[in-house]
Amino acid sequence: MTLKTETSSDSPITPFSTTLTRRGFVKMGGALFVSFALPAGFRAQTVEGHASLQANQLDPTLLASWLEIRSDNTILMRTGRTETGTGMSGYYTQAIAEELSVRPETISLIMGDTDKTPDGGYSAGFLYGMNNVRKVAAYTYQALLKLAAAQLDVPVGDLTVVDGVVSGGGKSIRYGQLVEGQHLDLKIPVSGEASRVDPSSPNGNGMAGLDGFTVTGDPPMKAVKEFKVLGTSFPAGHIPGKVTGKTQWSCDLTLPGMLHARMVRPATVGSTLVSAGTIDKTKFPTAEVIQKGNLLAVVSPNEWEAVQAAVSVASTTKWTEWAGLPGSENVTKAIREYKWSAPGESKGNAADVTAALASASKRIFATYELPYVRHAPIGPFLAVADVRADGSVTVWTHSAQSRGLRAQIANTLSIPVEKVVVRWLEHSAQYGRTTFGGDGAEGDAVILSQFTGKPVRVQWTLQEDLAWSSVSPAYVLDIKAGCDANGRLIAFHSASYTPHQSDARLLGALLAGMPCSMPKPGSWIATEWPYDKIQNRLEEAYGMPSIGAQSVTGGLRGNIMRTPGQRQQNFALEGLINEAAAAVGADPVQFRLDHTTDQRLIDLLKATAKAAGWEPRRSPQAKARKTGTAAVTGRGVCIMQRANAYWVGIAEISVVPATGVVKASKFTIGAEPGKIINPRQLDRCMKSGVVMGLSEALKEEVTFDKSKVTSTNWSRYKILTMEEMPEIKVVQISRDDKGFGGGSEAANAVVPPAVAAAFYDATGVQPGSIPLNPAYVKTLLKG
Amino acid sequence: MANELTLTVNGAKQVVSAAPETPLIFVLRNELKLSGPRLGCGMAQCGSCSVLLDGEEVRTCITPVSYAVGKKVTTIEGLPAVWAAQKSLSAADAAKTLHPVQQAWIDEQVPQCGYCQSGMMIAAVELLAKNPNPTVAQIKDAFTNKPPSPHLCRCGTYAAIIDAVQRAAKAMKA
Repeated sequence: MTLKTETSSDSPITPFSTTLTRRGFVKMGGALFVSFALPAGFRAQTVEGHASLQANQLDPTLLASWLEIRSDNTILMRTGRTETGTGMSGYYTQAIAEELSVRPETISLIMGDTDKTPDGGYSAGFLYGMNNVRKVAAYTYQALLKLAAAQLDVPVGDLTVVDGVVSGGGKSIRYGQLVEGQHLDLKIPVSGEASRVDPSSPNGNGMAGLDGFTVTGDPPMKAVKEFKVLGTSFPAGHIPGKVTGKTQWSCDLTLPGMLHARMVRPATVGSTLVSAGTIDKTKFPTAEVIQKGNLLAVVSPNEWEAVQAAVSVASTTKWTEWAGLPGSENVTKAIREYKWSAPGESKGNAADVTAALASASKRIFATYELPYVRHAPIGPFLAVADVRADGSVTVWTHSAQSRGLRAQIANTLSIPVEKVVVRWLEHSAQYGRTTFGGDGAEGDAVILSQFTGKPVRVQWTLQEDLAWSSVSPAYVLDIKAGCDANGRLIAFHSASYTPHQSDARLLGALLAGMPCSMPKPGSWIATEWPYDKIQNRLEEAYGMPSIGAQSVTGGLRGNIMRTPGQRQQNFALEGLINEAAAAVGADPVQFRLDHTTDQRLIDLLKATAKAAGWEPRRSPQAKARKTGTAAVTGRGVCIMQRANAYWVGIAEISVVPATGVVKASKFTIGAEPGKIINPRQLDRCMKSGVVMGLSEALKEEVTFDKSKVTSTNWSRYKILTMEEMPEIKVVQISRDDKGFGGGSEAANAVVPPAVAAAFYDATGVQPGSIPLNPAYVKTLLKG
Repeated sequence: MANELTLTVNGAKQVVSAAPETPLIFVLRNELKLSGPRLGCGMAQCGSCSVLLDGEEVRTCITPVSYAVGKKVTTIEGLPAVWAAQKSLSAADAAKTLHPVQQAWIDEQVPQCGYCQSGMMIAAVELLAKNPNPTVAQIKDAFTNKPPSPHLCRCGTYAAIIDAVQRAAKAMKA
């Protein structure tokens, strides 16, 4: 296991103890590669059929942009996608190794740098990213076989490859020797377009081309039964560096002459600047105040001086008063009062549902409400920008969408995209907030660097991050359903109402009054319908602008967060299924089995229920109670289908009615994501997803008054601690015949519905909302 | 005003110029270029900036640099040397040996984004020094209830951390 899987000879990253200069790293390379390498000074110009592709990035149609095989038999792959903490850099390595028939230890990756990678694309959609690198490897493998056949004078069909050694006719050759001195003119077929800010885009984020380039065609690929690396628990390459202190994080970057910045944010979400505070130069001799519009910052070569001076400036800065928020306790009311028109998306048949509801022998009406929550990483946003007088802009980021961010920055600065280079470095995970290329400190950093003419490092504080980063908005969901005389659901109608959740704007650009992408209100149906036996179904998703959208900061800028939309819609769907099962006296697991014919779901649900020791009975249990000082226990189940994967969660909890304290005692989680790529990483992602989901079920809520967010530290925005984590049991089913499915994201989303169901089982009260904190629980049980 | 202060960091004497009240994290990161302690909350609520000060975990975001003068500061970069000294390893062996806590963090594949994990490993080293054979309940207690705050991981790696602490405990007894 190499300690530097994500660095390489032409990596921009120096050891952490060395200062980086922008020109320095170009010369740093060991220059070991001999072929398939980029020609010196290589810059892509155009891609056939893609005139919009800008310079300063690699041409995705050239093999050399993606892959290098070096004389020492090591392999370098480049992808614009990034590691977001779910281990996908390891999955990429496994896929490449599989298709090239090499050991994964020989592969290194360059990720996320816009000028050093060919494809761009979402880091969230790892399956597509893996498909890209896998196909490139597969095309390359075919080319290598042809080369070897010629060199060894053996027909391709007689060649075998093991660990990068091609053998046939009693002869063998390593890839490194094979490619030495060769130039392989291999074209990689791609489709796609460059990322850009596009006011005419139909997407709610006002962006286009965020998918990046997709490798097309159908090269021969290894069959599942031949897999040697995919399906094994190959260790993730990013881990050793993080454990030993060798990883260079974005927060470690320093540049010559760099200034440290701390931002001074408005007093309220809608305040505008009246007068900026001043600096006492006798106390803070090197600090300066920078102001552009409502963007206010303090910079200093000394970070501690910047911190102190910013506090001092904030205390004397005057802002207008503003009170345009409804307050978090009134958010449902505010959403209800919005003048809704047509849904953003609708699926199903209204007439059939209406008729079926009319004929139902039992009808159920339910309302569910979910609060504002946020991504809340441990490390607040940070960015470094170097805007030069020559018009070049370099930004070091931990965004999950380098190309999208590049487009945002070019748009904000009103410069061509090719003037901007975005370099990606590790940092705290994002959980979806940078998926559209926005949010973050990058807007602040480029504006301050342009203003000062120096490289600027902007470090947000936790309070700032918990108040000003984008946020996963509240949901209100109304459901009508009907059962027939046999206790089967025959009609289902859901309508979800939510503020905007794809605002990709950079706060710094908003505050400075500079150009931004334009968010467009709307919502979508994220549910992948698992209950094919419910024949009459209508789902509607309604979207409204962000709350406080009219303010200069864009209000509570809504954005996607892990398992977006489906996390919320599934809470309502699975809540309703529980209530329906209760209404007809059915066991909740059996009731779900009775409403699907999908064998993958059936198999996983049965396996997970068995692992959890589930005994069939109706829910709520006979001894359910909502009073008393003794704990009452309950159990609950939920399912989800997402991205060619199936999920089951079974929660076991205790509730003390008198105190309102809910504790999770055990959680069993099952996943079937087609072929499991890496069982151990999946195990880790499933368990950690349960932790995040429990955190949301029991603790998390963004609170705000009429002016500003108030949950701005860890004692006010509470997340799950280690002691609150229950025993977690994992069930995995791997299938060889269903391709690959999403195996990281959804684990959080099966937790809140299962916990709510367990609460219902324990108390006889179905929670219409979360978090199940003591105050809410006591209110629920009184009602 | 800036003073010249002498610190002992990962076994080496370092002279730094800093105002005495400067939080230790800024000196370790910006003057000594150490990457291990990372800024999280800035108010001792999360643990991502933790280091050992004479073997005791401290949160460097609220610890003045002057408080560290005369004490031994250990970051994750210095953990291998701590272990090598404990086991009297030869220089050659020391160069290729990680602290058992670090090795366990790799073997158990603990980090996801990894931002908080430096502080988690520091807390683990401190715990194992005091309790070489902690139960799951004791590990949970140490990472949650020890002042000044719980060690928080937003990726949710707590189960992996428990596995790794127990693995490290075994390795350290071997």
